[in-house]
Amino acid sequence: MALEGFLDRFIGCWFGRVVMIKFSNVSLVYPNSAKTVLEDLNLTIAEGEMVLVIGPTGSGKSSLLRLINGLVPHHTGGILAGDVSVNGVSTQLTKPGGMAHVIGIVGQNPANGFVADTVEEELAFGMEVLNLPNDVMRKRVEEILDLLSLANLRNRSIATLSGGEQQRVAIGAALVTHPKVLVLDEPTSALDPIAAEEVLSILHRLVHDLGLTVVIAEHKLERVIQFADRIVHINGEGIAKVGTPEEILIDSPIAPPIVHLARALGLKEIGTTVRQMRRLTTEFREIPITDKKKQEVAQLTEAISFKDVTITYGNTKALNGVSSQIFMGEIVAIMGRNGAGKSSLLKALAGVNQISAGKITVLERDPFGLEGRERRESVGFIPQEPSDLLYGQSVGVECEQADADNGVAPGTTLAVLEQLVSGVSINTHPRDLSEGQRLALALSVVLSSNPSILILDEPTRGLDYQAKNELTRMLLAFATTFKRAVVLATHDVELVAELATRVIFIADGEIVADGSTLDVLLSSPAFAPQVAKVMSPQPWLRVKDVIAAIEELR
Amino acid sequence: MTKPSLHPFTWWLWAIGLAISILRFDNTLYTACCLVVVMVVVFSLRDQAPWAKSFDWTLKLSMWILMVRTFIGITIGVPIPGTELFKLPILPLPTWMPGIRIGGAVTWERLSSSLSEGFLICSIIVLFGAAASLTSPHRLLRVLPIYVYEFAVAVVIAASVLPQLVGAVKRIRMAQRLRGQSTRGLKSWRRVAIPLLEESLARSLDLAAAMDSRGYGVSKKRTRYRPISWHLKDSLIVLSAVGLVALS
Repeated sequence: MALEGFLDRFIGCWFGRVVMIKFSNVSLVYPNSAKTVLEDLNLTIAEGEMVLVIGPTGSGKSSLLRLINGLVPHHTGGILAGDVSVNGVSTQLTKPGGMAHVIGIVGQNPANGFVADTVEEELAFGMEVLNLPNDVMRKRVEEILDLLSLANLRNRSIATLSGGEQQRVAIGAALVTHPKVLVLDEPTSALDPIAAEEVLSILHRLVHDLGLTVVIAEHKLERVIQFADRIVHINGEGIAKVGTPEEILIDSPIAPPIVHLARALGLKEIGTTVRQMRRLTTEFREIPITDKKKQEVAQLTEAISFKDVTITYGNTKALNGVSSQIFMGEIVAIMGRNGAGKSSLLKALAGVNQISAGKITVLERDPFGLEGRERRESVGFIPQEPSDLLYGQSVGVECEQADADNGVAPGTTLAVLEQLVSGVSINTHPRDLSEGQRLALALSVVLSSNPSILILDEPTRGLDYQAKNELTRMLLAFATTFKRAVVLATHDVELVAELATRVIFIADGEIVADGSTLDVLLSSPAFAPQVAKVMSPQPWLRVKDVIAAIEELR
Repeated sequence: MTKPSLHPFTWWLWAIGLAISILRFDNTLYTACCLVVVMVVVFSLRDQAPWAKSFDWTLKLSMWILMVRTFIGITIGVPIPGTELFKLPILPLPTWMPGIRIGGAVTWERLSSSLSEGFLICSIIVLFGAAASLTSPHRLLRVLPIYVYEFAVAVVIAASVLPQLVGAVKRIRMAQRLRGQSTRGLKSWRRVAIPLLEESLARSLDLAAAMDSRGYGVSKKRTRYRPISWHLKDSLIVLSAVGLVALS
């Protein structure tokens, strides 16, 4: 049965198409680790396919991507059984450099891989080292500048570009050698929805116009699912499943909100695009438009208030006269494009950014003067890199340190951590934890001091759906049960829809919208969550809103 | 770009020339003059690039070295006779360490010789910092011949990771402050150093992997997209240093 399915899938439907990437019986084990990263993976990717790799964090998605050009095992070590071949060349015999003209690879954090000062030089680098003649280089640089709409940035210094622009430069730099395969590791995880959309539509165009083969790993399925031809799902124990998006997502625990919607509504088939889902759900929308539910928050105690806050760095204004108030029991999401001033505002609220003008009060005090214990008890802050907070050699040491700092009974922090994620060994080094576990550890260290306000900067970067659900549950409990305030900056509209009671939208250092989550998210198509797009014009943001509204009707 | 765009080797050759002349003159006044010139040049020519800050770091570092060097110079070692400035108590040492003395009389001669020797070391470090902050490491990589492959990879990694680390130190210290930890004292540096080392290692590996996957070092020949050429002003700057070497 398995063999038949295999033959059907690979011979039947790929007959006549050029095989670009072939994994034959690939198993991978890293040294000093008992865990098999991949076990007996067979996968054939044809030319011009766009393949999406999904799986929980730490399941081996990045390893799979890096196997394609031989960075694994040539660069990382590890034992590889079986064979990976690209365009007919086995990676066991060729080093990554020897594959450079066939494969372009864009890492998780493109800024770490730049080798030149300006956009143009960065694009040319790959061709220079391959010893291409000058006239070819000139032509291709122009071509790539046009293809990725980078022409107006050509002489800019790379360090001054925004996240989305840097991502585009990295893709361009990988494309100049005219590779046949492009491999991208979480290309949109650090981008706002609009920049992510730009990058993904460029990839889509490359697949269709140039027949490029694209392999992409991404957690935020809602962003990429519509572009994928096939999905490789790695389950974490080394077993991988391959199939079309519909085949994989119908019973996968990892699924975007629209698939959850289809399941909740009991549809027989699932759609992977908003358009498909709208067709499937016409009947559910044909009810009188329900009123917007008011999310009632008793606005009694004020947690934070800021008035006319301006922050300048050198000549640039990061924030320009913003004012608002945040109350206890609220979860406020700060949204906006990359570089809009979200982090600056959060740091100012936490009292580490000196403000140039205006006034901030946190629990009726100036947050800038808070020190030591007093600071820990009033404001807890989780930075963009949660590991910045951690310096212990093991989870146990980290927790003991937090207990000692806060003068609480030994074991308190560990108990909080156990509540957040179970099964973390206290002997593990924080670096060896998964992204979600590390965030949980940082969060438990911060929560052990029992702060009245919790501030999180971009908490879902690199988190899978399961970790995100855990985070949502924790933050909701913190805000509603204990009546504390939560402020978070994020690009993740789905998280905001699930979690936030209020959204503050910042553009170019100014607040452009400040209102309930429903009002703000529904008013902008780019920032609307998938369920809202499917169910428009009904004012529903989440799967449970839809179900609740339909139940009410019956 | 309003600043003159020079060949990446220019400031390095210039700094090396000045360093040689300083060592050969071995004259404190001359060294001081050179340093003033270097500072004027760096502060007026450097731009906003991340590596431009490395000059400030080398200045701070050389101040430290000068202080430590002078302190050790006047407290440890063989006494030099001359005008006595003040007297330190002599530390009793075991008998198996003859000829070494800690403390004792500090003479003007001893102080000035320690200072001028320290000054010499510092000037070399400052010259190195000046060249590093005036030259883009990326442009330097572009002109380095490919047969120094390993060296070039090391240079570009060190040069691009170090300035990022300055940013990382700020970020981590901020995070530690938010955790309510004091950011002063030796202990706080241990807390910063661990995340910092981890991050710099991860970044270096990322960069090396990226260069490797883009085919760096595969071909022994390499073409140039916008060849960096040597101009008259490059020659003039280097000649000025060569002239000083010749004079010395």
